Amino acid sequence: MKNAKLFNTLNKIAIFYKSEVLKLDLKMISHLSNLSKLSFTDNELEKLSSDMSSIIEIVDIIKEVDIVYNPLSDNKNVNINDLREDVAKESMATEKILMNAINSDNCFVVPKVVE
Amino acid sequence: MNITNLKLREMRDLLDKKSISAIELTQEYLNRINKFDDKIQSYITVTEDLAMDSAKKAQEKIDNGNTNPLCGIPISIKDNICTNGIKTTCASKSLENFIPPYNATVVDKLDSQNAVMLGKTNLDEFAIGATTQSSVFAKTKNPFDLSKVPGGSSGGSAASVSASLCAASIASDTGGSLRQPAALCGVTGLKPTYGRVSRHGLVAIASSMDQIGAIAKDAHDCAFILNTIAGFDCNDATSSKAEVIDFTSKIGESIKGLKIAIPKEFYDSNIGINSEVKNSVLAAAEKYKKMGAELVECCLPSLKYAVATYLILSSAEAASNLSRIDGIKYGHRSTRGENFNELIINSRTEGFGDEVKRRILLGNFVLSIEQYDDYYKKALALRQRFITEYADIFEKCDVILTPTTLSTAARTDENISTPFKTYLDNICTVSSDIASLPAISTTCGYDSNGMPIGMSIIGKKFDEATIVQVADAFEKSFNAVSPELI
Repeated sequence: MKNAKLFNTLNKIAIFYKSEVLKLDLKMISHLSNLSKLSFTDNELEKLSSDMSSIIEIVDIIKEVDIVYNPLSDNKNVNINDLREDVAKESMATEKILMNAINSDNCFVVPKVVE
Repeated sequence: MNITNLKLREMRDLLDKKSISAIELTQEYLNRINKFDDKIQSYITVTEDLAMDSAKKAQEKIDNGNTNPLCGIPISIKDNICTNGIKTTCASKSLENFIPPYNATVVDKLDSQNAVMLGKTNLDEFAIGATTQSSVFAKTKNPFDLSKVPGGSSGGSAASVSASLCAASIASDTGGSLRQPAALCGVTGLKPTYGRVSRHGLVAIASSMDQIGAIAKDAHDCAFILNTIAGFDCNDATSSKAEVIDFTSKIGESIKGLKIAIPKEFYDSNIGINSEVKNSVLAAAEKYKKMGAELVECCLPSLKYAVATYLILSSAEAASNLSRIDGIKYGHRSTRGENFNELIINSRTEGFGDEVKRRILLGNFVLSIEQYDDYYKKALALRQRFITEYADIFEKCDVILTPTTLSTAARTDENISTPFKTYLDNICTVSSDIASLPAISTTCGYDSNGMPIGMSIIGKKFDEATIVQVADAFEKSFNAVSPELI
């Protein structure tokens, strides 16, 4: 009887923690979705939460490395070679730039942004 | 003799000798595409009319004595490389109807030589993936076994070369996207040093690693193409001013005395390497030894962090790069959305596939202020460590020999439920991208099911000529098999 009670208590704690983690993960995924300008249904968020956890598990291996980023000595991989002379050049024609967009009076069309 | 089985430079000879015309050659490839590509699905767009027009112009040039190396040679181009007036979809719904108003620099360079573009090849959506099954238009098959994947993301390019549906293909590599499918489809893929080829017009994913290269039937053909596409470009400030030499110049030189590094971590069972693959690559190493090369055992201690480092850096850059796709300037535009923000969210949500969304989320996760130090900055530090570890190896050796993949091609129905598990399979290729090094993959054997096994030769920065020489030395003594298409 005592064991059954203990089991129930432990089970409740386990469910509490599980839902806490899931809730936290969903909150994080929702936050990231907003940052990423993406939207997901509740079901999709649940699945993403599980998928993203698996991906984070893969990248978490780098946490075991004792290394600190030094902006002076690191990140020398990409060499910026030569920037163009600051000389005005003919740019692409407006109709070409707009050929993949809704073109209205040679402007991009967006929903109303000013009331 | 089936002319499409020839090497690119053999076709060059036939064209120059007028044994065949560029028109006949192009028609031959178009016939094969019509006959076989329904099964293989390597092309998203076949530019038949344009190809015939280009072939006619090329033939006029040849008739007038022009023998530019690629004049009249039919090639395919990965569909993430912009082609003026021709759809460039990145295999995504978000760019389904995108028609670039300009050419990528590589395309201009090919055009200037009157190369003939046959069409645009399939890829994983936005070149993110390793199977070419995440394209929204087609799921490319491996020409050696249609029930298997061709690898990716340049699976369409590799399959089109393997099935002789083009003489060669121009593709891109960010974490192995060019070498891995080349290995799985039994052809040769050359990823040049970062900066060797202009990225202008390549739809960017990870700008610090993306690089355009060539897939062809052998290393000599790859170098032949690199001769045309390499060089500084004022439209890409990260392209290099390093001298563009003749990348075929060392072909045929003896490799006697050449030091080939064998980093033990790539052959460790802990990374999950298949024994047939391991044995085949080590047998190739022994073959090099017989040719007079010296094998040097060495270490790349950080290899186990390669996939994590790559995922963090590439996803962070992909999240930033893909933020430009909003449905307003170009690309899929949702019909839903009451305001500016909703329109962008709906356009992106409808346009991107699952894997692209996951990478964007991961990128924004590692860049978020709470995680930035633990993930992104640490990955930048690790990148420097990879550069240092590779530099240590190159102090004592000329090239490095590794497997290209852990195993041969998987079945098309594998990995679908757990796509992120395949991330780990890229462990053999990502570190050379992280360190900006050139690498070439060539076939070194076949497994018990007849599927190709690839090995990679990694070189010093801007030393593509030596890795081409080393790959060619092996290829000359190896009997490569072509897939049998029915």
